[in-house]
Amino acid sequence: MKNLLKYIVSRVLLTIPMLFILLSLVFVVLRVMPGDPVSAMLGDHAPAHVIREKQLELGLDKPIFVQYLNYLGQIARFDLGESMVYKQRVVDTMKDKLPATVELTVIAMIFTLLIGIPLGAFAASKRRSARDFGIRLYGNIVYCIPVYWMGLMLQLLFGIFLNWLPIAGRTSARTFVTDFARSNFYIIDTIVAGNWAALGDVLIHIFLPSLTLGITLSGVFLRLTRANMLDTLKSDYVLAARARGIPEKHVVYRHALKNAFIPILTMLGLQFATLLAGAILTESTFSWPGIGRLLLERIYLRDYPVIQGVIVVYALLVSLISMLVDIIYAFIDPRVKY
Amino acid sequence: MKRLSLVLLVLFMTVSVGIVAAAPKTLVYGTTDKVSDMDTANAYDIHTWDVFQNIDKGLLAYEPGTTKIIPALASAFTVNDKGDEFTFTLRPGLKFTDGTPFDASVMKWSIDRVVALKGDPSWLISDYVKEVTVKDPLTVVFTLKQPCAFFPTLIATPTYFPLNPNDFPADKIIKDISELKSGSLSGLGPYKLTSFKRDEEAVFEANPAFYGPKPDVGRIIIRYFADATTMRLAFEKGEIDLVYKSLNPSDIKDLSANKKYVTNRLPGPQIRYLCFETSQSIFKDKVLRQAIAALVNRPEIIQKVYLGQNSPLYSMVANGMIYQTQDFKTVFGDGNVALANKLLAKAGYTAQKPFAFDLWYTPSHYGDTEVNMAEVMKAQLEKSPAIKVTLKSAEWATYKDNWHKKVMPAFLLGWYPDYVDPDDYTAAFAGTSGSEGMGIYFSDKKWDDLFTIEQGSPKDSVRKDVFVKVQKMWTDEVMTVPIWQGDMYIFTKPNVSGVKLGPTLIFNYSELKLK
Amino acid sequence: MDRKSNTGAAAEAAFSPAAGMGRLFRWLSEKNKRYGAEWWIMIAGILIIALIVFAAVCPTVFTKFDPLDQNAGTQLGAPNAEHLFGTDNLSRDIFSRMMYGSRTILGVAIAAALVSSLIGIPLGLLSGFIGGWFDKTLSLVMDSLYSFPGLILAISFAAMLGPGVINITVAVAVIYIPTYFRLVRGQTLTIKEELYVEAARAIGAKRSMILFKYIFPNVIATVVVVFSLNIADAIMTEAALSYIGLGLPGSIPDWGMDLSMGKKFLPSGVWWMITFPGVMIMILALGFTMLGEGLAEILNPKLLEK
Repeated sequence: MKNLLKYIVSRVLLTIPMLFILLSLVFVVLRVMPGDPVSAMLGDHAPAHVIREKQLELGLDKPIFVQYLNYLGQIARFDLGESMVYKQRVVDTMKDKLPATVELTVIAMIFTLLIGIPLGAFAASKRRSARDFGIRLYGNIVYCIPVYWMGLMLQLLFGIFLNWLPIAGRTSARTFVTDFARSNFYIIDTIVAGNWAALGDVLIHIFLPSLTLGITLSGVFLRLTRANMLDTLKSDYVLAARARGIPEKHVVYRHALKNAFIPILTMLGLQFATLLAGAILTESTFSWPGIGRLLLERIYLRDYPVIQGVIVVYALLVSLISMLVDIIYAFIDPRVKY
Repeated sequence: MKRLSLVLLVLFMTVSVGIVAAAPKTLVYGTTDKVSDMDTANAYDIHTWDVFQNIDKGLLAYEPGTTKIIPALASAFTVNDKGDEFTFTLRPGLKFTDGTPFDASVMKWSIDRVVALKGDPSWLISDYVKEVTVKDPLTVVFTLKQPCAFFPTLIATPTYFPLNPNDFPADKIIKDISELKSGSLSGLGPYKLTSFKRDEEAVFEANPAFYGPKPDVGRIIIRYFADATTMRLAFEKGEIDLVYKSLNPSDIKDLSANKKYVTNRLPGPQIRYLCFETSQSIFKDKVLRQAIAALVNRPEIIQKVYLGQNSPLYSMVANGMIYQTQDFKTVFGDGNVALANKLLAKAGYTAQKPFAFDLWYTPSHYGDTEVNMAEVMKAQLEKSPAIKVTLKSAEWATYKDNWHKKVMPAFLLGWYPDYVDPDDYTAAFAGTSGSEGMGIYFSDKKWDDLFTIEQGSPKDSVRKDVFVKVQKMWTDEVMTVPIWQGDMYIFTKPNVSGVKLGPTLIFNYSELKLK
Repeated sequence: MDRKSNTGAAAEAAFSPAAGMGRLFRWLSEKNKRYGAEWWIMIAGILIIALIVFAAVCPTVFTKFDPLDQNAGTQLGAPNAEHLFGTDNLSRDIFSRMMYGSRTILGVAIAAALVSSLIGIPLGLLSGFIGGWFDKTLSLVMDSLYSFPGLILAISFAAMLGPGVINITVAVAVIYIPTYFRLVRGQTLTIKEELYVEAARAIGAKRSMILFKYIFPNVIATVVVVFSLNIADAIMTEAALSYIGLGLPGSIPDWGMDLSMGKKFLPSGVWWMITFPGVMIMILALGFTMLGEGLAEILNPKLLEK
């Protein structure tokens, strides 16, 4: 237990240099960008002296190096600062956007696993058959489908032509979120509030975006599951199980799949970054009010603190997940020493 | 027994009818706009100003749907002969929702607060007003820095609205209504804002303390949409009763064609135009600017890019506004290639030696149709063999930076007026200081003098002369080329009426009626 | 002209059509036996790429329309015999825009993959070979970049640089440097310990000699595979950047931008403006993926299984 704790601490410490490097890079990239948040926010009509005063107020006149040190000091105090464009703290800006992104990615990950793992296992059990080939082709194709395009096509089919599913937003206009929103994880909020009608509305809205995101990543898991299953199906104990006359279905789905699970778990951590990148595009296609959309919106306005804040949150999310995966991995695989 | 049940039934029915009657009529209104700051000291955008127009009032106001100034919180006002001192007589007995009385000192407090907090629009006061004095509880005097003929229109902007001193903090700008002492935003207008979740929804309820008639729709709920497509679909599903701003041209086309909905098409105050950097760019030569003006084909742009929506504009002064003339139509017309070729030849450019320049646009600030507008204009300009256009684009923050750095020789811009007066459509581009702020850098004493005359004179005939002259001169200098004026579309379900939206673009919710 | 057909005839005489076909068939079936499906996947990938490259080089073979012509057809016309993919809101022929647009996406993706490999490979070689604090620092930086969602980095860079062909190439290239770095560094570390490298060192070979003669050639096989997969990825990234409006200024046909233009016509049922650009992006990315997968299986069957 003590070892595990030590391991966790060292993992946490490792994320600090990573955060530092990313932040520095983004900071430099942002500040050499042409464009000025002040004149963007003040509208067309502000006289020059007003713009100048605002720049002084925000400290944009100071040398970049000084601004950088100030910002690092701020981050060290766990303070993400205040938006330059709207008078709002960065944390407050993200408060209801982050849960939207997390909800979307988690449901998408569930879809990914539900599609990818069974297909991969099935393909492995029918190795070199036409079905195996077909499934692998599916894996390759979905990997090459741009996630936003898939989203648009699903919108066109289910939202416009068939008119079965909503294609944008987290709720319909007649669902009043102020009635239940507390944590801004709407699925949890509606369950806590016991508002089943709203829960139904929330679920039907998250269905298409998360399915879209889930499908595009399912190819990766399909391939991984298949490869690992092929290895385990060749291993001694599977042969032994077969020799004992255990039905092939049991061998494949009980014994072999269980063992193929550890590498899949590792992959889960690695692919989370891909999922987040895909989420930006999905959010923008489905008008999903997450931090990806926020990032795009504020990049256009050069709202430095919010952009940096979103990057920090993304980096934290990625390291948090990979850390979590490592720890779970350490728990279930006794060979790993901390 | 029977009689008792009958009595009970009647009683029950009365009560239930009573309850139904007590629930206010509710209208859901969808928009893609955003609220910036819930504070007149920093709010400087159309939608937030709209919110304040509905929950508060100025000393003067616009008659709904027109540009006519009418008394509001002030019952009357007088101007001194020089035109730099305005005295307002306040309506007696006005109170904020919490009982705080409204008087001259509240007015002065509110104006001083905006100036002191130095928020984004504070220059709308500080550039004009020298001082506000309380003469007696019902009389307030605005002394101006210089005579200003359009001061009544300024007074009608939300920056000049009174705020409740018991609710708003004196020393800081607030962002959300949760920062207010009362927790809801109320002024002296027909509604109060009772609940607000940023980018999600805002709930307005009738303000019982309002001095005017009670609005027909007791409860207005605004749903904020992230994009036009979602909003359109929600409207088609019947989730919202009214959509206003901003739909894509394709959505407007489809909804207009649908008999199930009521289409309100109104001329809006927004104008779009092409700007030239006139001080040092390749467009320093005004003959070249004239050539471009001749090549622009407004009806084609409107048809191709906006599917027939919006109206061609032949003067920087918006259509339907006093003193407007159509000089660009008479002098240049549309797509006048022959004239352009002649002008270009005069400047030394021919098909063999074409005039090449960068045309800039900004891809999202004016909606994603902007790239199409630039592409169509490029094709129109290149109808003259003596022109070669390269399209360049930059996001808004960079775009603004670029014009201050004089990087862009020709660029597309749009304008929403601060106050609805021809002055705001002309001096802002051709006057030395305004022109500098727009990246045009045009400066001519003759023009500046004309604007000073017009701004200082309350006389209609004097101002008319100036504006007619200025519009004529515009076709010679062509520091900008007017292209089109935006039409505003409001779609409603058939049971909604009373949509009034004039050139001021103020949307009065209290005028709405719901069957 | 005559001479040309003469040489043609001579060539035909040397390799009679029947013999040529037979030889080709034998060769293919032999490969099929050896590599199975992977072989065909690679061939299909190469065919896809060849076709699109051909369209990019000579678009006029496929279409008579100018991709910028705003009077090519009717406004928002559905696909028909004349306009195979329909026309867009500015009445431009979409098929022609697809043909010409392939230049943009191919150019950007290949250039970006080249740039990132030209930076990533030498850095990886050096880092793995030299080791020490240099390796540690560089690895940390590269790992940080690698673990971060690449598209977000690309978005930041693209926004900073503004629209333009070179700018978007740089933005795409940046995010793939760590891929090459990690791959090459890992391989270098392994090969460094191999017996023949030890031997070369023992007989006093120069460090640069070891690097270029022994390590580099061994690394390059894997790099070829990754390069092809990288182009597929870069295609997707370029299209994504264009889709969110960070790509190119107007008047340059570009698949991602055409797709985003079509997005707002979706509720009106204008399916052709979004369908075809997406199909093109997918097919092109698929071509390079298939080539890469096939190559991987043939050059090093173990590579992708990991």
